Amino acid sequence: MTPVIEFSGITKSYRRRFRRTEVDALSSVSFEVKRGEVCAFLGPNGAGKTTSMNILMGFIFPSSGTSRVFGFEPGDVRAKAQIGFLPENFAFYRYLNAERLLQFHLRLTGRATADPEGLIAALLRQVKLDSYRGLKIGKFSRGMVQRLGLAQALLGDPELLVLDEPTSGLDPAGRKEVRDLILELKAQGKTVFLSSHLLSEVEQVCDRVIVIDHGRVVGTGTMQQMLEQNNRVEIIVDRLSPELEHAIQEHGASISREENRVRIHVEPEHKRQVAEAVWAAGGDVISLSPLRASLEEVFLKLVDTGGAA
Amino acid sequence: MNIRTIALATLRGFLRNKVILLFGSLFVCVVLLMMSPLIAYKAMTTAANAEQMHGFVLNEIAGVMALVSGFGSLLAAWAAADSVAGEMRSGTILAVMARPLKRWEFLAGKFLGVLGLMAGYVLAMLGVTLLLAWLGGQSFQFSVWTLLVYPLTRYALWASISLLLVTLVHPIVVMAGVLILMSLIKVFESSSSSMAAWIRLPVHYILPLTNLISEERFTVITKAARHPFPWTGHVTALVYGLNYALVCFLLATLIFRRRGLSRD
Repeated sequence: MTPVIEFSGITKSYRRRFRRTEVDALSSVSFEVKRGEVCAFLGPNGAGKTTSMNILMGFIFPSSGTSRVFGFEPGDVRAKAQIGFLPENFAFYRYLNAERLLQFHLRLTGRATADPEGLIAALLRQVKLDSYRGLKIGKFSRGMVQRLGLAQALLGDPELLVLDEPTSGLDPAGRKEVRDLILELKAQGKTVFLSSHLLSEVEQVCDRVIVIDHGRVVGTGTMQQMLEQNNRVEIIVDRLSPELEHAIQEHGASISREENRVRIHVEPEHKRQVAEAVWAAGGDVISLSPLRASLEEVFLKLVDTGGAA
Repeated sequence: MNIRTIALATLRGFLRNKVILLFGSLFVCVVLLMMSPLIAYKAMTTAANAEQMHGFVLNEIAGVMALVSGFGSLLAAWAAADSVAGEMRSGTILAVMARPLKRWEFLAGKFLGVLGLMAGYVLAMLGVTLLLAWLGGQSFQFSVWTLLVYPLTRYALWASISLLLVTLVHPIVVMAGVLILMSLIKVFESSSSSMAAWIRLPVHYILPLTNLISEERFTVITKAARHPFPWTGHVTALVYGLNYALVCFLLATLIFRRRGLSRD
């Protein structure tokens, strides 16, 4: 099956004005997003996320490499007809009200609907803006604009949603609503490609993760694969001699001493070896439990090590 | 459908644009101030000085109309440049271009939106001409369609030049370029006969010769008369203007096709 999004060796260089130097915003970025996936595109500020999304939407052109969306070149109207896009800072015509803006975008989608007013009213209800439908967007708060941006992204009943920081500016209740919306879209079989800094939320809704830093992909995989990367086992023992501590540390374990116990964090493949060594030295293993890494820990490690983790 | 949607949104945007409203109001004030001498001339007209006053009135009207017409060219150029640059500056273009809309359709919509604004302006110009004639107690010999179609063609030409330039440079540079171009045309029109042929011919082909698409060629306000003008002359002049505008527009779409749209 053709992937919904294909990036192959995408490089984007910007030439600095008045200088003869080039800055690489993206360097040989390659990844795929399959149909029906909810894929998170993560990276620190300035990593190249928005540049990648702009290339994906056909707003800017890569210096080299190829990209495809639904098998078409980015910017092709056949691809765009299947995409709902929320830009990083959704900008709008300030003189329009929410209803008028959605009417304008609905006309541009070319979506034939028997009841456009009903569709717009339903979308405004979905993003909890139905009571502000007549208010000029210039008077909206940041969070309300973001909600409106989400509504316009959903207008054309798109197969693919490209959401750049969808929860930016939203309060906790708003973030939960977006999370629920993404899960609902996932249940409908839609593909979602989103960037976010709220990793705990990404962890709850995404199937796959792509981590980018300094314009390079430093990590990619399913959510499970990413979280398993950093899995550790915690072994709590009653005592540990300095010689044994030194020997265990050679296995890459981290050790912290408390009043009458010692905590050892070790890779899963070394757990048996460490536990047996403790028993052999006359110590006792009080507990042995797996520690699940959070996406935040995985992300920070990937960004710190440049993907060498 | 998409082009019409963009054109209507552009026109609505113009009608709410504070800069346009401010300059429009200032301009109306200036025109009103320039009108007041007409009323004075009319009041001072006697049987003895009727012919002299007639000349004053026509000169006054010609002055106002030249100002109004020149301002229209600048307005068309500025509106075209701002309609594209403003969307890119504010970022509204991203949500619009994420729709199944081709880049040339976006530019065509903007261009038609500008033409909509200028059509309103041309109608207002016609109204001002008739008002001035009424205030001055004069009657003109002119056909209404020429006073509508010729200025609109000229404004279409300036709008397309401006669209072409704004796909390359900042709108302030566009306006500077348009002003320089207008000055060059004036210089060329007044001194082309004394120029060497190797300069005159290329310039003749490159510069938009706006005198060719000026209604002044056959409507001489200072004499309140209409020059006899064959319809083939009208067609040739208008086709020249529209052709120039079309070439500029096509070049603009060609450049805009590969232009980055994001703010970074």
